[in-house]
Amino acid sequence: MRHDTPGPGVGAAPAVPSAPLSLLLVEDDAGDAFLVEELLAEAGTDVRIRWAKSVREAARLLNPSVDCVLLDLGLPDSAGLDGLRRLIEAAPGTAVLVLTGMSDAHRGAAAVAAGAQDYLVKQEVDGSLLTRSIQYAVERKRADESQRRLVESELRGQENARLERGLLPTPLLEGSGLHFASRYRPGRSRALLGGDFYDAVRDADGTVHVMIGDVCGHGPDEAALGVLLRIAWRTLVLAGLTGRRLLRTLQQVLEHERDTEEIFATLCMVEIPAGAGSAGLHLAGHPAPVAIPRQGAPALLPADGAGPALGLLPGDGGDWPRIDVRLGEEWQLLLYTDGLIEGRVGRGSARLGEDGMIDLLGRQLAAGHAGQALIDRTLAEVERLNGDALTDDVAVLLLGRRPDGPVAGAR
Amino acid sequence: MDLSLSTRTVGDRTVVEVGGEIDVYTAPKLRECLVELVNEGNYHLVVDMEGVDFLDSTGLGVLVGGLKRVRAHEGSLRLVCNQERILKIFRITGLTKVFPIHASVDEAASATD
Repeated sequence: MRHDTPGPGVGAAPAVPSAPLSLLLVEDDAGDAFLVEELLAEAGTDVRIRWAKSVREAARLLNPSVDCVLLDLGLPDSAGLDGLRRLIEAAPGTAVLVLTGMSDAHRGAAAVAAGAQDYLVKQEVDGSLLTRSIQYAVERKRADESQRRLVESELRGQENARLERGLLPTPLLEGSGLHFASRYRPGRSRALLGGDFYDAVRDADGTVHVMIGDVCGHGPDEAALGVLLRIAWRTLVLAGLTGRRLLRTLQQVLEHERDTEEIFATLCMVEIPAGAGSAGLHLAGHPAPVAIPRQGAPALLPADGAGPALGLLPGDGGDWPRIDVRLGEEWQLLLYTDGLIEGRVGRGSARLGEDGMIDLLGRQLAAGHAGQALIDRTLAEVERLNGDALTDDVAVLLLGRRPDGPVAGAR
Repeated sequence: MDLSLSTRTVGDRTVVEVGGEIDVYTAPKLRECLVELVNEGNYHLVVDMEGVDFLDSTGLGVLVGGLKRVRAHEGSLRLVCNQERILKIFRITGLTKVFPIHASVDEAASATD
């Protein structure tokens, strides 16, 4: 892959640098160091040279503003290619060009194999060759780096997309007569997924089970644990387990599967028997859902009897009694993760909070928004108040019954 | 907003005074501090949260992790907090059942179970 005689047509045309190139010359021979400076000056190259007499000194002088290292392979403290490897390790993003003597030109190729961008034989170098080689090495290193970053971000994007699909399923609500809408927004932090998850399932008896949860912390491990808990939850519901027994089992699963004992998960679960007009609510360390009545202001459901987050209390600790909720003929419930109430309001450290969120939701309802639009408008308003995309990820879902309203099963 | 941490000794307790916002960005700093204290042999910690403006679930996880670390050495982790909005987060998640929460550092430093 190396070029022997870099010419104008070799590689990508070097971008015209606005600032002089910063070169770190690693050379123990004062005469050779002087020669390099002379050659570059002769060629009129705009370059700022720092001179280190040993690899040890060079490692100390290396910083991200250095564009290129010019390393003499014949230094006393760079036995073999160790010196080169030390410098590459110290500054993985900096281009390295090595200088060899006539007699050890073969080591130049070995240096390129070990990570140098190119090698030059001292006796063959003139000013213009040296200049072009430096520019070429810098440009090639930059291209390699941006390629590497591109591949990494693509991989991360694909992984996030896979996890996101697992976290946010298509609800199984066919035949329930309920309308369902949901939205998930990843947080701002480098498009890193959090562990928000939700699901909705109608069982064989026609009872609808809906759940939203949040694994504390952020990153692929937490997101993967969220997927796992969602699937475990769905499996347990379909297998006929409900209420506190389901949560106890889910806590066991979490304890076995989590990476560190620091991890816990909050969860809100609602069970709505067909046509009953009432529901059973279970809260495990999670904020209570909001009930939206046909008329009047939305309000938080009571959270008396809420149990701790899953994975918090050791062993069989924790209990999650059923909280009975009257729903009536026509109702809507909004379930959410804490990202929705943790947004900033204004410049200080003040946050929206539950009350602020309910006011905001009330305004969207008053403006006539419903269903998916209600969720999306509410989220947009929370983000506007925050002044930016939210730090944490957010999941919101809306489930309800309208006696004569349209029936939807999918999000 | 950043996180500030300072530690001091009160009797046989190590007090960590936390200020600012504990979120996904700053929580690692608090984790590092607690891990270091435990590694140095400080097993009875008091975390003073009076200067904390915001606490998210990542921060809660770090406190829980700290508690599990000191318990491994038969130690304790007590919190000092009077702020309603922070206390509310502890109540919702059930952490009031996990952490002893005190009104002052003096009270926490002299408390025994």
